[in-house]
Amino acid sequence: MLNVTHVSKTFFPGTVNERKALVDVSLTLSPGDFVTVIGSNGAGKSTVLNTVAGRISQDQGVVSLDGRDVSKLKEHQRAAQVGRVFQDPMAGTSPNLTIEENLSLADKRGRRRGLGLGVTRAKRERFAEALKVLELGLEDRLKTKVGLLSGGQRQALSLLMATFSQPKILLLDEHTAALDPQRAELVTRLTKKVVEEQGLTTLMVTHNMVQALEVGNRLIMMHEGRIILDVSEAEKSKLTPADLLAEFGKIKGAALDDKTLLQ
Amino acid sequence: MITALELGLIYAIVALGVYLTFRILNFPDLTVDGSFTSGAATAAILIVNGVNPFLATGAAFVVGALAGLITGLLHTKGNINGLLAGILTMIGLYSINLRIMGGANIPLLGEDTTISLLRQFAGSGWTSVLVLVAVALVFKIILDWFLHTDAGLALQATGDNEQMIRSFAVSTDRMKITGLMLSNGLVGLAGAVVAQHQGFADIGMGIGLILVGLASVIVGQAIFGTRVVIQATMAVVLGAVIYRLAIQLALNAGLNPNDMKLMSAILVIAALLLPQWDGFRKFSARRRRGRSALHAAAEATLTKDANIDGKKVS
Repeated sequence: MLNVTHVSKTFFPGTVNERKALVDVSLTLSPGDFVTVIGSNGAGKSTVLNTVAGRISQDQGVVSLDGRDVSKLKEHQRAAQVGRVFQDPMAGTSPNLTIEENLSLADKRGRRRGLGLGVTRAKRERFAEALKVLELGLEDRLKTKVGLLSGGQRQALSLLMATFSQPKILLLDEHTAALDPQRAELVTRLTKKVVEEQGLTTLMVTHNMVQALEVGNRLIMMHEGRIILDVSEAEKSKLTPADLLAEFGKIKGAALDDKTLLQ
Repeated sequence: MITALELGLIYAIVALGVYLTFRILNFPDLTVDGSFTSGAATAAILIVNGVNPFLATGAAFVVGALAGLITGLLHTKGNINGLLAGILTMIGLYSINLRIMGGANIPLLGEDTTISLLRQFAGSGWTSVLVLVAVALVFKIILDWFLHTDAGLALQATGDNEQMIRSFAVSTDRMKITGLMLSNGLVGLAGAVVAQHQGFADIGMGIGLILVGLASVIVGQAIFGTRVVIQATMAVVLGAVIYRLAIQLALNAGLNPNDMKLMSAILVIAALLLPQWDGFRKFSARRRRGRSALHAAAEATLTKDANIDGKKVS
């Protein structure tokens, strides 16, 4: 479904700030794969997501979706097939528009936006039905501006919107990181439910190791722009956060050793 | 009084255009100073050459929209700061407007214009005011309708949260260009009607127009609120009329027409500064729950999400 082939990206090349964000990264997701991505800050997790979404253009390599090379397509063109939820709960919705208007925007993903009314009675019923899944009572507040909702409510709505028109791939960028534990739990639960129901191919970045192990059928660990660990479902079920931390420790240790050697 | 009302209703179309860029797209577009005159110049030269005045007024919309297109392209494809893109188009249009008119002004006295036809059918009393009320409302309703279509919602979201709407496969560049074209089209059309109302097109008639539009939007929305689009556009229309009446009062009080630009500037400055002043805050806090609508309106002009915050506080 998603093929990332030999992709590299360097920020600020040729300057003192040069940073290799991705180094020859290759990654293949089969339809229905739910991959969690972990790694320390600056490991390149978000850069992978942004490269797939088209927000960042890679220096080298190819990104293809469903067999089609999308490397040259712009962000909004790729978005016809890519659903995204951002870390910032404010980022995924339009605050001055109402809940039903936001859903109407999501509903039209990848289709022509013409001069038909955005919200009709039939659509409203469909939106209300879809909102019930969230169990937040938002179906009774269709005409409320999204800016008045709490962060958790907005993030749950963002998730619903991102998956509303069945994208080919769903990208989740630490989408529970900015929420309190309860809300994070709710959004994680909803994520599992929606992904399972629709069989979405999903790439989820997270800082939370428990979450990374608990969710999805595959786990990837990144470090300094490379994928250093790729764990399948069977192995993943045996792993514990402690194992992952040990793995992190090994890499850090190695990096430390190199440095000591150089000195 | 009648003239002030009539002018206010015509300028309401300008205010709707400015509302579209300034509030909906969150884009301070100075093109309007130029496109207003372009509309007036185009309509005037066509009318003088015997073209049907309604057709000429329609052509003014097209020319205004083209001006908006240029600003839009400069901003989106050329990556030029929005404010600067508008100024560049506005300055360039000055020369173009002179070329269109072939001089600094074109008198329309004795020509068949939309306004002369209005006078034939409705005279120059309250009936004509009613006709213009209907015209302004038609434009308001068309804008309301457009903003609630799929395309219009995408346009609103572009001004509200660009990152989000791009992630739903909307080209924000195209939306901004569309908004700028519509806005300047409306302004060009209003310019054409103003020229026909005053009986001439003049190269200087667009100077400071952005302030007129802005004052109408801010004053109207401060008094009548901005909760939903339908309310906000109504507020904008009424704001334009109130602004024109205020100008009339100032003139009656003995001020010179040449002082009006300064008055507009001071009015806008006052609307932006007053809410920041502690005394005013205390006064309005007592008067209303939370913050005043004027405060919210002024802040929404300065920052993007402010009016939402304003509502949260109350």
